[in-house]
Amino acid sequence: MTVITENTLELVDVTKTFGSMKALDSVNIRVAPHEVVGLIGENGAGKSTLLKLLAGVHQQNSGELIIRGQKQRMKAPSDGANLGIGVVHQEQSLIVNLTVAENLHLGSAGTPGEKRGVNRLGLYNWAELNRQAETALRRIGSSIDPTTIVEDLSFTDRQMVEIAKAVQVAEHSGAEPLLILDEPTAILEPQETEILEREVARLKQLGSVIFVSHRLQEVLRVSDRIYVLRHGRVVGERNSKDVVEEELFQLMTGRESRQTANEAVGRTLGRQVLSVQGLTRRGHFRDVSFSIRAGEVCAFVGANGSGRDELARALFGAEPFDSGTFSVDGRPARSMRIRRAIRSAVAYLPSERKTEGMVAGLSVSENLTLAHPVDGQNGPIQLPGKRRAAMRRWIAKMDVRPADPDIDIARLSGGNQQKVVLGKWFLAKKLKVAILDHPLRGLDPGAKESVAQLIAEAAAAGCAIMLLADTLEEALGNGNSIIVMKDGTITERHNLAERIPALAELVEGMV
Amino acid sequence: MSDTAHETVVDQRLEATHHCAHQVNAKPSPLHRINWPTLGPLIALVVISIAFTFINSSFATWSNMRAILDQASIPLVLAMGATLVILMGSIDLSIQGVMAASGLTFVLLSANSVNGNEFGIGAIIAGLVVGVIFGAFSGIIHTKLRIPSFMATLGVWYIGLGVATVLFGDTVPELEDAGLLSWANATPLGIANGVLVAVAVVIIAVLIMRFSSLGRNALAIGADENLARLNSIPVNRYKIYVFTFAGLLSGVAGILGTMRIGNGIVEVGSGQLFFTTAAVVVGGTLLSGGRGGPLRSVVGVFLLTVINNGLILSGASPVYQQLIAGIVIVTAVVLAGLRQRSRLRIIK
Repeated sequence: MTVITENTLELVDVTKTFGSMKALDSVNIRVAPHEVVGLIGENGAGKSTLLKLLAGVHQQNSGELIIRGQKQRMKAPSDGANLGIGVVHQEQSLIVNLTVAENLHLGSAGTPGEKRGVNRLGLYNWAELNRQAETALRRIGSSIDPTTIVEDLSFTDRQMVEIAKAVQVAEHSGAEPLLILDEPTAILEPQETEILEREVARLKQLGSVIFVSHRLQEVLRVSDRIYVLRHGRVVGERNSKDVVEEELFQLMTGRESRQTANEAVGRTLGRQVLSVQGLTRRGHFRDVSFSIRAGEVCAFVGANGSGRDELARALFGAEPFDSGTFSVDGRPARSMRIRRAIRSAVAYLPSERKTEGMVAGLSVSENLTLAHPVDGQNGPIQLPGKRRAAMRRWIAKMDVRPADPDIDIARLSGGNQQKVVLGKWFLAKKLKVAILDHPLRGLDPGAKESVAQLIAEAAAAGCAIMLLADTLEEALGNGNSIIVMKDGTITERHNLAERIPALAELVEGMV
Repeated sequence: MSDTAHETVVDQRLEATHHCAHQVNAKPSPLHRINWPTLGPLIALVVISIAFTFINSSFATWSNMRAILDQASIPLVLAMGATLVILMGSIDLSIQGVMAASGLTFVLLSANSVNGNEFGIGAIIAGLVVGVIFGAFSGIIHTKLRIPSFMATLGVWYIGLGVATVLFGDTVPELEDAGLLSWANATPLGIANGVLVAVAVVIIAVLIMRFSSLGRNALAIGADENLARLNSIPVNRYKIYVFTFAGLLSGVAGILGTMRIGNGIVEVGSGQLFFTTAAVVVGGTLLSGGRGGPLRSVVGVFLLTVINNGLILSGASPVYQQLIAGIVIVTAVVLAGLRQRSRLRIIK
């Protein structure tokens, strides 16, 4: 109110400790009005603690939180909302069997003040609810029909509803909102991220934005300024136009720049291991034919609904297909069942790591031995001591941290969990085919690199790998070949050893 | 099957156009709006009714239709409460116990053969209050003591039966209030009053489902209880409300049943738990919660009632009736859930 240059948010020497661990160590961050600030850091760097502090979930031990020139101390999550801070969380917060309008209404319910549309007896006035929702959606430039049931929306549209919800809450305070987008693009396909990037530009007109993401390129594109967190400290503050991705990576991980060269391309490939002929599942994919050779990483790219996920699951026997054949190492497999797939040395890494890939509550070594018997396991009889010894070697080989075979897998970080899930398959003596469904999803860059390394090693050892890539960069960086799918059919094939396609070329095949 | 496949194709096209046009709003086509799995039980009801019409000419008569309506009325009342509970992802096993306790309370406070009470309408209200108390009690044990609804209501079932047995004493209390005795079966409007009560309850349930936070929050809780909490829905409070509502309806059913029989017995609700729960599930409400609705349960109730009625009329031996009803229910549930079951989905 006093001066134009007053910052929307200012953190001065903020420190937050959990026990003896410093989650945040004298952090200084400022966000100006109508500015997009990027926040990057590896898992455990303190990003989530920082966000929880701003949302009012945690309180700092020392340091000052200044919002629009006023010193604030937040005690409850509603304090954040009252100060005009809206958070779009990484996890979806929408209730999928309700309409968009209802979800927006629920979102507003936490804020004080009158709630129109539902009277004191709990009776709904749908016209009013829909009208309110439409206003909230228009505000962020979205034209989603408020009467749609959320589960009928695409992920991008759901993300829009989440944003509308956060904006609505934040604007209730009467101030220009500060919106925090926590990993908003983590599960979006490339062209969907573009929509979101445009949305961020629009939000910038309404207020300020803190954009948290693992994807360095995106952060560079959307932010004006970037803060890099490492081990709870701000290790760098850069203007987006003065910095390149390599530098950010280095700041974030503390390591030398990652190898950009794709080693996979130079590898000599062996015989055909997986060969697919005219595979069709009505409504999902049709007449899909391709083959993958030993040592080859074949990256599949495509938008939501391209059918690549269903294809991958059908090859492992987790979902059915209607017609077509495929063979593993020359042996035809007319239909697949999971047990048979495993016996013929086919591995599948599900995209839902937490629910399908690992068994939380079991130890790391138990998880590792779920799919294949190892030393110390003879049918139903298990010898924990011997198994542990075998597992120790694997854990060391894959560099799982902490290197404790008995720790509950749920307590590991995402990257380390993924290493264990991959290890479960890769420790088979001769794995022939690995179907990896978004193996790098949700991992921070450091963990990504080590998981990618594991994949490359498996390929080098002669495994044929089908990789469903999250991003085109990921496909280009890890594959020997790329297959583009759209609406259930293959639209393009690229052999990277012959020619490296441009990004635009790949996107063209997808939309 | 082809219907569902077709629907998925429509879904995909929508999604595809959506991606190309980016922000263009996907207005679902009218075809997309038709919810095929919902129609399954309705189609089955029509087909089975037509089949019975051909098998026995007395099936499609006005008097038999009235008989079907009469048979369906109590399950309809119960199914409306059960639908809301199941939508929420919970289960209410207590209905037979609550019916017994309400029914006996009602008889013993009306003009009856055992004591000198004669409270008329007051007796009905007392019976309903008993239902409400039992329902609220189930809800409170379930939420505050964090006992799974399955166990909480299993216990309340037996508490209800126990209370009813104590009230019953050693002679059968006969209902002697002439007005109340004949009320349920009286047909001042062409259909029995009991059926009218059921229709009113269905209408109320549909309105609750569409226009009240009771119904909408139950739906939200059924979808994901934790998300509902994070969206500031008072989950426990609404669970108690829903169980109370179900208890009230069990009370209504207990009183209706007692009026029909003419005396107060502990077995007034015998067999209703299986019938109602089966009807709700056959109608297409998922036991896991979050999907379904009262109108589907109406179809489910009629489907099962028509099967029972038709089998009797077709001269099927009573020995086989239960067997056939069971097979039909299992088949219907298998067909109803076909689409939801992907191979990796966990069934508990």
